Amino acid sequence: MHRYRFILTRPLQFLPVIFGVSIITFVLVRLIPGDPARVLLGARATPTAIANVRAQFGLDEPIWMQYFYFLQNLLKGEMGKSITYKIDVLPLIATRIEPTLALVFSAVLLSVLIAVPLAALAARNHGRPVDHLVRVVSTFGIGFPPFWVALMLILLLAVAFPVLPVSGYGSTLGDKLVHLILPSLTIALSLSTVLMRSLRAAIVEWLKSDVATAARARGMPESIVFWRHVLPNAVAPTINLLAVNIGWLIGGTVVVESVFALPGMGQLLVRAIFSRDYMVVQGVAMVFACATVLVNFLADIATVAADPRVKL
Amino acid sequence: MKSQMTKAKLAAFATLLSLSASYAEAAGVLTIGRNEDSTTFDPIKSAQNVDNWVFSNVFDVLVRVDRTGTKLEPGLAESWTISDDGLTYTFKLRDAKFSDGSPVTASDAAFSLTRIRDDKGSLWSDSFKIIDTATAADDKTLVVKLKGKSVPFISMMALPNASVLPKGVVEADPDGFAEKPIGSGAFTVEEWRRGDRVILKKNPGYWDASHVSLDGVEWIVVPDDNTRILNVQAGQLDAAINVPFSRVSELQKNADLTVRMDPSTREDHMLINHEHGALAKKEVRQALDMAIDKKAIVDAATFGIGEIANSYIPKGALYHYADNLQRPYDPEKAKEMLKAAGAEGLTLNYLVNAGKETDEQIAVLVQQQLAKAGVTANLQKVDPSQSWNMLIDGDYDISVMYWTNDILDPDQKTTFTLGHDTNMNYMTRYKNDHVKDLVAAARLETDPAKREAMYVELQKIAKDDVNWIDLYYSPYINVMRKNVTNFYQNPLGRFFLEDTVKN
Repeated sequence: MHRYRFILTRPLQFLPVIFGVSIITFVLVRLIPGDPARVLLGARATPTAIANVRAQFGLDEPIWMQYFYFLQNLLKGEMGKSITYKIDVLPLIATRIEPTLALVFSAVLLSVLIAVPLAALAARNHGRPVDHLVRVVSTFGIGFPPFWVALMLILLLAVAFPVLPVSGYGSTLGDKLVHLILPSLTIALSLSTVLMRSLRAAIVEWLKSDVATAARARGMPESIVFWRHVLPNAVAPTINLLAVNIGWLIGGTVVVESVFALPGMGQLLVRAIFSRDYMVVQGVAMVFACATVLVNFLADIATVAADPRVKL
Repeated sequence: MKSQMTKAKLAAFATLLSLSASYAEAAGVLTIGRNEDSTTFDPIKSAQNVDNWVFSNVFDVLVRVDRTGTKLEPGLAESWTISDDGLTYTFKLRDAKFSDGSPVTASDAAFSLTRIRDDKGSLWSDSFKIIDTATAADDKTLVVKLKGKSVPFISMMALPNASVLPKGVVEADPDGFAEKPIGSGAFTVEEWRRGDRVILKKNPGYWDASHVSLDGVEWIVVPDDNTRILNVQAGQLDAAINVPFSRVSELQKNADLTVRMDPSTREDHMLINHEHGALAKKEVRQALDMAIDKKAIVDAATFGIGEIANSYIPKGALYHYADNLQRPYDPEKAKEMLKAAGAEGLTLNYLVNAGKETDEQIAVLVQQQLAKAGVTANLQKVDPSQSWNMLIDGDYDISVMYWTNDILDPDQKTTFTLGHDTNMNYMTRYKNDHVKDLVAAARLETDPAKREAMYVELQKIAKDDVNWIDLYYSPYINVMRKNVTNFYQNPLGRFFLEDTVKN
C-alpha cells in the first residue's frame, strides 16, 4: 500500500495550481479589450449608466482590490455575481455542470468502446490489410472538424433517417441519454482515433515482449496471452494520454455543446467571454481547472493500479 | 374469461384515449428556437432583445405599440389623457389580474415606474429621469407628472422594461421575482431551465385570455443557426427565429415551411468619425456616400432581401421621409470631389465586427468599391465587444453598425444619433448646432403635422451633412412549420404570441 501514499500527499500540490489558475484567468479575462458594462447596456448606454453598472459590480475598483474581493469570496465559497444574469456565479454554473459532465463521460466511454476493439484488431493483424484499413479510416476521424461531423451526423440520423433528436438535452434520464448519442459520437469519432493509435502501438510492442513470449511458452492460448498479459500492460500509456487530453476534450465540448444546443458549461463560457462577464469566465475556468487536475490525479491512481512497477 | 378480455381491451382503449388527449393538449404548445437564453425576468435589469421578447409575453405595459409599429393602442391603460401643459399624464387602468390572482392597481403601476427610475439595478434610470412623480389617485387611476414636457414620453410607456409589476411580490423578494416572475401578460413562466428553455403557460386570468389560442410556449435555446433551422425542418421545433439571409431562398422552396419576413426598424449604416482629418469635411463624406454601391451590398450581403436605406428613420417607422435624397453610385464623381476637397489618396481605418458574416462580406465589398474612388480602406477585424469600445474611444475612421428602435417615437434614435448627447452622436462626433436645437425642439412639439415637418427637415440635413452613410433596411426573418399561423413580430420586435395559432 506504500505505493498509494501519493493519494494523500498529492492533493496538497493542487492548491498552488488552482491558485495560479485563479490569478491567470483573473488577469487574462481583464486584459481582453472590451467593457462588460458597455456590452450589458448596449447601444443606448450613457456614461452615467455605465458608471452605475461598473460601481454595482465593483469594476471601478483597482484590479488588485478586485482580486482581493475575488479571493475573499472564494474563501466564503462564492464566486461573485454574474454581470449578465445578475445571480451568483456558483448556482449558475451548478445548473450547467450536469450536461457537460454527462457529455464528457459518455464521449470517453464511447471512445473506449470504439478504440479498444479496433486497436486490438489492428495490432493482432499487425502489417496486414486489416491493420492498414483501420489506420486509414481512423485518419479521417482526426481530419474532419467536429462542427462538420456534428452537422453531418444530424443530417444523417436526425433529418434523413429521423431516429435521433436534432439537438437539445431533455428532462428525463432516458431522454437525456438519447440526446447525448450524437454529441458524444461527434467527440468520440476524433478522440477514439487518438486513443486507438496509442493503444495499437502499445499492444504491438507488448505482443512481442518477453512477457507474451513466456506466456506462450507456458502453453497459454493466444487469447489469454492477449487479455491477461498484453492488454493490461498496454493500457497504461493510453490512460495517461486520455488524462492529458482531458483539457482538449473539455475545450471540444464548447463547439459540440453549441452545435447540439446542450445547456452545458461550454456554452455558458462562450457567452460569458463575448459579454465579458468576468465573474462567470473566472468561475467556469476554475471549475475546468479543478476538473483537469482531478482527472489527472485519478489517471495516476489508475496507472499505479494497472502496473505494479509504477511508483509515484 | 371473455368479459375479462373485454375489460382489458376497454382499459387499453381508455389509456389510448387519455394518451391522445394529452397529446392534443401538447399540440397547443408552440416551440420556438432562438440563439440565446433569457438573462433575467426583472424587466428593469435588461436592455437586450432576447429578454424583451419574452417580457412582452409575460408582462403587460400601460400602452402598447400596434401590429404595424406606427400607432399606440391601449394596454393595461384603457385610456389616457395629457394635460394642456404636457406635464401631467392620467391613465385609466382596465380590470386586469396578475397571474397570482391579485388585481392590477394604479399603485402597482406607480411603483413600477418609480422603480425603473430609482432602483440601483435599473439599466433604464436615465431614460425615466423625466418622471417627477408617479402616484395612484385611486385604484384604477395613475397620475404621472413630468419634470419637463416630453412628447415621446407616452411611447416609452410601451417599453417592455416599463411593464407593470405586482408591488407586493417584487418588494418581498426582488431576486426571486427575477427568477420566477408574476405578471399580467398572456402567458406565465412555468419553468425556466437556464441555458435550455423558458416554458410559458397560458395565463387564464389574462384580461384578453379568450383571444389566446396557444396553451403554452417554449423558447428553446439553439445557438447554432444550422441546427436551429434543421430542428424546424425535422419537425422538432415549430419555429426558429433569426434566419440568416443566405438560407431564405432554399427554405422558401420547402413545402412544409413558411418563411416570414416582417418589416423591422433595423437600419445598417456606416459610421464616420468626423474628427479624423479629411472626414471633418462635408464634401469628403458626401464623396464617400457616392463611392459606396448600396445596391451591390443589398444584392451580395443580404441576398437581395434588404432594401437600400435613404434615411436614418427607417422605412415604415413614424415620420420616415420617403423622398429623401439618395445619392447615385458614382465612383468617378466621388474621386473628383475628393480631389477638389484635397483628400486625394485618402486612407481609412475600417473597423469590422469579426465573426459577423454579413459585416465581413460588406467590408470586402466596400473596400473594393472605395478603391475605385481612390480610397484605401484598411480592414481591422475585432470582436464586437472590443469594437464597441474602440467606437466609443474614437479609435476608427469608418465602421458598419446597426440600430433597431425600441420605441415608436423617432425621438429616441434621433437623440442618440443627432441630439449631440453624451454618446457623441452615436460615436460619430458629428457637430451641427442647428440640428442639435431642432432635435430638442421636435421633442417638445405637440402638433403632429409640425412635428413631422421638423423630422423631415432633420432627415434632409442629416443626409446633406452625411452624419453617417445609410446602407440598408432589413426585415426580421423567421421560419415556421406550415401549421403555425400568425406567428409574427411588429417592427419593434414584439412577438404577438396571443394571436399565434398552431393547428
